[in-house]
Amino acid sequence: MNASQFGRRISPLLACIGLLCVWQAGALALKTDSFPTALEAIRAIPSILGDHESLLNILDSLRRMAIGFGLAALVSIPLGLMMGRIRAVASLCNPLLMIVYPVPKAALMPVIMLWLGVGDVSKTLVIFLGVSIPIIYHSFQGAKAVEEKMVWSGAAMGLSGFQRMFRIVLPAALPEILAGCRTGLVLALITMVTSEMIARQNGAGNILFNALDMAQYDTVFAMIIVIGALGIIFDAAFEKLRRALVRWSEPRFDMPLSFS
Amino acid sequence: MSVVPLRPGVQAEPSAHAKPVAMIEIDRVSQMFETSGRRSHLALSDISLSIEDGAFVSILGPSGCGKSTLLYIVGGFVMPTAGVAKVKGRAITGPGPDRGPVFQEFALFPWKNVLGNVMYGLRQQGVKRAEAEAQSRRLIEMVGLKGYESFYPKELSGGMKQRVAIARTLAYHPEVLLMDEPFGALDAHTRTRLQNDLLNIWERDRKTVLFVTHSVDEAVFLSDKVVVMTRSPGRIKEIVDIDLPRPRRRADLLLDPHYQKYVVDIEKLIDDVLEDELHP
Ligand SMILES: Nc1ncnc2c1ncn2[C@@H]1O[C@H](COP(=O)(O)OP(=O)(O)OP(=O)(O)O)[C@@H](O)[C@H]1O
Ligand SMILES: [Mg+2]
Repeated sequence: MNASQFGRRISPLLACIGLLCVWQAGALALKTDSFPTALEAIRAIPSILGDHESLLNILDSLRRMAIGFGLAALVSIPLGLMMGRIRAVASLCNPLLMIVYPVPKAALMPVIMLWLGVGDVSKTLVIFLGVSIPIIYHSFQGAKAVEEKMVWSGAAMGLSGFQRMFRIVLPAALPEILAGCRTGLVLALITMVTSEMIARQNGAGNILFNALDMAQYDTVFAMIIVIGALGIIFDAAFEKLRRALVRWSEPRFDMPLSFS
Repeated sequence: MSVVPLRPGVQAEPSAHAKPVAMIEIDRVSQMFETSGRRSHLALSDISLSIEDGAFVSILGPSGCGKSTLLYIVGGFVMPTAGVAKVKGRAITGPGPDRGPVFQEFALFPWKNVLGNVMYGLRQQGVKRAEAEAQSRRLIEMVGLKGYESFYPKELSGGMKQRVAIARTLAYHPEVLLMDEPFGALDAHTRTRLQNDLLNIWERDRKTVLFVTHSVDEAVFLSDKVVVMTRSPGRIKEIVDIDLPRPRRRADLLLDPHYQKYVVDIEKLIDDVLEDELHP
């Protein structure tokens, strides 16, 4: 590892430490109850992660997030690809998506709760909706940008329409699809917390807001750190996976936008 | 076409019908494009061309005269707005592995390395991996890319990509090769080498080749027939039969007065085409 590589590795860490220092200094200067110092917040983390109940809550959240994200990817990627390749599908789905796109998915939560209850189904559905849009959009863009002659080459080799979609358009659009999935993954986490904020029952978001209700501010901030850390870890792990899958498309020299 | 004896078995067969079916029959084909601004553009107008089995036919003409479009029609990628194109007597309704295109834009699969690209068609036809790989490696060597098997398209130069594209199409043994300026991005030496290789393959397998080029001497060197086209609309100006003995060797031909005459004549034809455009 040379100096610049080392620097690139260490700079996110330095950024974190810097942020914590600013927080610590700010909290010490302000001295209010509702703004604990960074050290106090960090000290509260082990008691959350050590608590069986809290841990189950967080795992519940993550399970919903995984199911919502997984289902969204399973539906949105084929849909987006078909929209990009088949005009009829695009003209059918485009207006629909244009309406759904700007609506904050969490705003649908009350209605969904009314119909489906406050349980897992509602929360997972909201995550699903939140994640779908970016994945559909990126899959659509990716499929549209696939060079026509590449698809023709496949057709000349005897690939059927379905095979061309699966074995030419999908891999060719994969870099774009995965870019959408990366956005989707972070959105899944955001929607996860939001849904639990509205349907207070269990989950990571619920721990956070319960603590807020009980004025346990160190727990509130500790939870923010935990959720934030989860986001960073997921994003970094996904970025690693993405780079492994589309190494063939990466420019040779680039600055990775990740902490991996 | 008078020169080349076709595959003896095919040619000698006494046909009950008077006329043998041509490999490719282009019959009064026109192609209209809707361009932006709702204007229509006649890219090809009333093209008729018959290509016998095993013939090597080149298309020459100024940029934009519809050479690629004609190739796409024979490939089945584009449906002509008028007329029909037939392969072995049957109207072309879509692409198929009997017609192998080599596109001007290469269109390699970027997620596959060189070997993966060349193997793709063979694997698609159900050839076992080991066999497909062995055949592909031979082809890669033939196009001079030995050692680059594991390179990805983005890691190749333009000329190298072009050679992969040629190997990828040759690999699955299409009866008809549709080559769109396949040697355009190559240096003169590689170009000459690949011309010879292509001729060798063609003389061995007697594929039918439809070959688009901007190089007059390439066309004369390789072809049985040279089709010269005009632009706006794309029409056939003249079809020149190249009556030179085969096998041809470039070094022998260069001093051959017959060869030189063909080159000069066709150069003049193309000059005429451009002149007519300026002073219609
Ligand atoms: N999809 C399309 N839509 C509209 N116009 C098109 C389309 N494809 C081709 N054309 C037009 O048809 C004409 C012929 O194009 P084509 O690509 O066949 O030319 P070409 O002879 O291959 O040219 P070059 O030598 O530059 O490759 C051009 O005028 C081009 O603008
Ligand atoms: Mg062209």
